[in-house]
Amino acid sequence: MNIAVRLENLNFDYGKDFSLSIKELSLNKGEMALISGGSGSGKSTLLWLIAGLLRAKSGSITVAGQRMDGASESAADHIRARHIGMVFQTHHLLPEFSAQDNVALALMAAGEPEKTHAARARELLNKLGIERVNVPVANLSVGQQQRVAVARAIVCKPAIVLADEPTASLDDVNASQAMDLIQQACREAGAALLCASHDRAMQSRFERVIQVNSFVQTVRAQAHSGARA
Amino acid sequence: MNDISIVVKSLSSRRLSTIITAASVSVATALLLTMISLRTASFEAFQRGTGTTHLLVSADSSPLTAVLNGVFYANAPSNPISWAKYQEIKNAFPYDWAVPTQQGDSFRGYPVAAVGPEFFTRFEPVRGEPWQLAQGQFPSKPFEICLGSTAAAGSGLRLGQKVFLTHGSGTSREGAHAHEHAEYPFTVVGILKPSGSAHDRVLFTDLDSSWILHAQDRREREGVEGLTTLADLKDEDRKITGILLRLPTRPGRDASAAIQQQFDTLRRDTSIVVAQPAQQIDRLRSIIGNVDELFIALGVAVLLSSGISILLSMHNSMAQRRMQIALLRALGVARMRITGMILMEATLIGCAGAIGGCVLGLIGNAIASGALKARIGLVVDPTLDPRSTVIIVAGAIVLSALAGVLPAITAYRTPVADNLRPQA
Repeated sequence: MNIAVRLENLNFDYGKDFSLSIKELSLNKGEMALISGGSGSGKSTLLWLIAGLLRAKSGSITVAGQRMDGASESAADHIRARHIGMVFQTHHLLPEFSAQDNVALALMAAGEPEKTHAARARELLNKLGIERVNVPVANLSVGQQQRVAVARAIVCKPAIVLADEPTASLDDVNASQAMDLIQQACREAGAALLCASHDRAMQSRFERVIQVNSFVQTVRAQAHSGARA
Repeated sequence: MNDISIVVKSLSSRRLSTIITAASVSVATALLLTMISLRTASFEAFQRGTGTTHLLVSADSSPLTAVLNGVFYANAPSNPISWAKYQEIKNAFPYDWAVPTQQGDSFRGYPVAAVGPEFFTRFEPVRGEPWQLAQGQFPSKPFEICLGSTAAAGSGLRLGQKVFLTHGSGTSREGAHAHEHAEYPFTVVGILKPSGSAHDRVLFTDLDSSWILHAQDRREREGVEGLTTLADLKDEDRKITGILLRLPTRPGRDASAAIQQQFDTLRRDTSIVVAQPAQQIDRLRSIIGNVDELFIALGVAVLLSSGISILLSMHNSMAQRRMQIALLRALGVARMRITGMILMEATLIGCAGAIGGCVLGLIGNAIASGALKARIGLVVDPTLDPRSTVIIVAGAIVLSALAGVLPAITAYRTPVADNLRPQA
């Protein structure tokens, strides 16, 4: 099975104000695609749907050969933990936890044996250039925190990494470095990358660019713009 | 990484709040443990003082007063019983023993009791535990005195020392009116081992000495000079304030069917009051019980308020932890597992508080038992009652876990997407 994620006849709406319809979209393992679109266009909504954190009205979502749509909440949790890595704009690391513990959280969620957590997390962090693995992440630089967040996303060797505006808060130089890191990590992990970004400059980094506007059927008001940023 | 390590890290990240919340549980638990342990132990200690006495006769106003005065030395009995009445009571029934006692004097605030010799040889302050001497001997002739263990420790008296008794209880209330029997020094001849009863704070002497002291006062009032001797005693000088009675029982038994019968017989004599000490202790227990139930109710209220403080502390922290919860959900951690972590957090606070409460309770019991021993000579076991401890500790932990239910529901309902979006 080479397909990391496949969406078919997917329909989703936020009431009458916003609806999203995808006839077919798939991404192979190792493939990297950018979801492009302006703020509030539904990029994040698409990522949440794939992650199983939002439920589609109809259609199918298959992640690593497993149906996410129609799956029970616990089954969706399991698919997300085993096959999906997530990177967020503000990293969302737990500040009181060490870098190693933040990465180990993903292993714990995926049900990996507890005795392997520390070694696997440490090994990956070292590979990504983080030596002080037991320091609380609040004491690390922003760049180091970004590496920890990427390590957490790929430590379980997911089929796909979903990155939601990972460079939105960074300047051009740091944004470029961050994307290098994410893409290289996904490449080495053999994971597909679906990256949502409003930054047009990012398009040159991806072999495939998906315009989210082509899926959106109606946008009547901005009432839900926050929810589908 | 596991659920417990996440919970422990979460608690340690809010260290001050966690410590304060657990401390409130500790205080409530300790208060309840101390109240219940002391209630049980102090009533056991009260029971000890009655010893092997079946009936107590006095001329006090009520049976309860008779027991409080005659067994616990609360006050000197106000009305005397004549020696003739004692003889009449003693000879009216084949008692196992009948010990006359006379109270009314004191030494540095410690009560003095003049007793018949059977008090040391037949009466047992605690059933199965007769008097034992730590030093010296029991009084065997007039003007010898034997000290209870608390009285000995408190007064600092040693064997061979001379003491002068004071007429009355010797409290500060009597002040300058207290009259010292300066003509008759008493010699300390013995110090008793602790009995764990109110008798430990008493100085014991013989009846003849006590009668001579008071006859001397009478003779001074009458203008007779010189020291009083046994030969000078008149019948009116031979007065006592109480009689400890024990009826014959079968070997190994403490009760006798004749006790109630004899009790009823003695009650017909309106010049005396007769009490069954065990009954009066139970009555005292029911009176004091209302007061300590109030304290226990207060302890329960404090425990409930500590549960509310856990709820508030965790509820307030939920606002800061929405991102943490949403992140765990995004990583694939199930809602119920996160809910369980929140409940575990509340339960851990309860456990820490309950353990702290047991330690505080032991300290509280030790302080309270020390104070009771020093003030009224009651020996109270400072250890915690196992059954009550298990119930209270389990109650504190269950209450803490319940306090975590609302925050756990909040965690369960936390929306993921909204809480992972960058704040505007």
